[in-house]
Amino acid sequence: MPHSPSSGPSGRLLPAGERLNRMADAPSSISSRKGLPAAQAPGNPVRDVGGPIKRLLSSVRDGRGFDIVLVAFPLGFLFLMAGLPLLYNVLMSFQEVDMFSLGTLMRPFVGLKNYRDLFAQPETLPILANTAIFVAGSIAGQFLIGFGLALFFWVNFPGASWLRGLFLVSWVMPGLVVGAIWNWILSGDFGVLNFILREGGVISGNIFWRSDPNYSLYAVILANIWLGTAFNMILLSVGLSGIPADLYEAAELDGANAWQRFWTITLPMMRSTIGAIIALGLIFTLQQFDLFAAITSGGPNNSSNVTQYWAWEQSFRQYAFAKGATISVLMIIFVMIASVVYVRSTRHEVRG
Amino acid sequence: MTETNRNRLMLLIAIVMAAIYLFPLYWMYITALKSGSEMFATPPTFWPSVPQWSTYAFVWESRGMGRYLWNSLIIASGAVVLITVLGVGCAYVLARYRNGWVDIGLFLILMLQVLPASLMITPIFVGFSQLGMLDYPRLAVIIAIAAKSMPFFVVLVRATFMAVPMELEEAALVDGNSRVGAFFHIVLPLARNGILVSAILIFMQAFGEFVYSKSIIQDIELQPASVGLNSFMGPNTNEWNNIMAYATIYVTPILAIFVLLQRRIVSGLTSGAIK
Repeated sequence: MPHSPSSGPSGRLLPAGERLNRMADAPSSISSRKGLPAAQAPGNPVRDVGGPIKRLLSSVRDGRGFDIVLVAFPLGFLFLMAGLPLLYNVLMSFQEVDMFSLGTLMRPFVGLKNYRDLFAQPETLPILANTAIFVAGSIAGQFLIGFGLALFFWVNFPGASWLRGLFLVSWVMPGLVVGAIWNWILSGDFGVLNFILREGGVISGNIFWRSDPNYSLYAVILANIWLGTAFNMILLSVGLSGIPADLYEAAELDGANAWQRFWTITLPMMRSTIGAIIALGLIFTLQQFDLFAAITSGGPNNSSNVTQYWAWEQSFRQYAFAKGATISVLMIIFVMIASVVYVRSTRHEVRG
Repeated sequence: MTETNRNRLMLLIAIVMAAIYLFPLYWMYITALKSGSEMFATPPTFWPSVPQWSTYAFVWESRGMGRYLWNSLIIASGAVVLITVLGVGCAYVLARYRNGWVDIGLFLILMLQVLPASLMITPIFVGFSQLGMLDYPRLAVIIAIAAKSMPFFVVLVRATFMAVPMELEEAALVDGNSRVGAFFHIVLPLARNGILVSAILIFMQAFGEFVYSKSIIQDIELQPASVGLNSFMGPNTNEWNNIMAYATIYVTPILAIFVLLQRRIVSGLTSGAIK
């Protein structure tokens, strides 16, 4: 979806927006119009009879002030409720926080002690490794299955778009319900997945998905792949539908087979979409919390614990808020790097 | 192979794939109807021999689901109202202008969208407890959800406003409307559908929200259904038919809304996330 800066809505909107500003500002006060600077000169009394308050109100009703009011409240709210907590998080990661100092802001500073302690803990590295496996496994599964489904539904047949949309139910369901269902499907003795695998001859004995440390992380990955595949598929479908059909016609005339067309047209044309979806997948996977709470609770013995669950566990199970904040800071830095990749790969689309 | 036959074959394969994909959902509905002994039968039955419809009433009563769902409804509605009131205007301005400030604003909003709730809850909880907000736990959760979900809403609704032709608003201004008048009488009605779909998406998300509610709301009387489901699932539970009945009652309204509005939701979603 390449956008040249001079074409499309972006080229048209810019002058229109400026025109709108001028028109909107014009009736609010004569002195604000360009080309009449004399009206603002000192010693030349302002001819506006209403005074500053009335001018302000009229600007809010009919000028630039309207836009500023519309943006100021939400951005202020976001700053208070998301920006400040972010900074507070960093502050707490350098402090000693316990139940007694919870109510004060200026707690004893301990420098980098929280960070040093964190990496001195034996479970830190395994949990970081689990997070990497969880992210890589989930994204690989979601993306490959999603891409396969998107390619299949790309062949247009009656009912295709409706059936494709139906897949998204996995994404709109509360994460905790998805976790509860998979918890039951993955149950060791009576789980239906073990039954299907046994009947299919894949396994001979039951796998204790939730309680076997070798499998517990993969149990959550399995549920997360199910949850996210549909979303990947829908976004990939949008990307596929943006590829011009004549490219394929030309390739077919040149004698390219389906496999060659996929490698030489589909994949290169989808590059920016794929980049955006993988970055988005990374962001969503690192947000996944509900499945851990519903399936394994990070257990047994941290074998399925990942950083986003561990940070919460430290704060709300162990009441070690400083440690929870320290883990959060490290992860948030990582997530932000991922989101820069996402923003960059959707840049032209975001700017419209 | 003729065109019709090919279409039929494709449709058949698609239905089989959808059936496999949606099997977990089917399993939830079926397990909820099984009796306590049938649930643990080997081999498992794929259709309940005697559907136990009374499980629903039993779970609704014994778990106090009315109260849980009411709390979920309050939290989700409150979050949607707060997000809509704050987010619509923000999306409008971000769609109407393009300059460095708008780019910075959009970038910040996209960055906020990615912060995981389970990582943000630590500073939010400590901050709220210092401000005394924990005395109003549901309000605290509404505010926290609003801060979490508003960026997503703004991105979706901004895409809607981009599709509203600028000329209509300009014409209204030339005709003597004020900015406020043009916004409420011309722009908002034209963007109504997109705003509605985005609000529904936010509602569905907030209706299933778990991390904030679990961490902030201690009083069981005020907890939403997601926290109720979590406390229903102890580590060694074997009441799976009752849990699945709970899950069924919880998600069926969401699924119904989704299936009814599927086309609009899917198109609204894709316009914001990629375009």
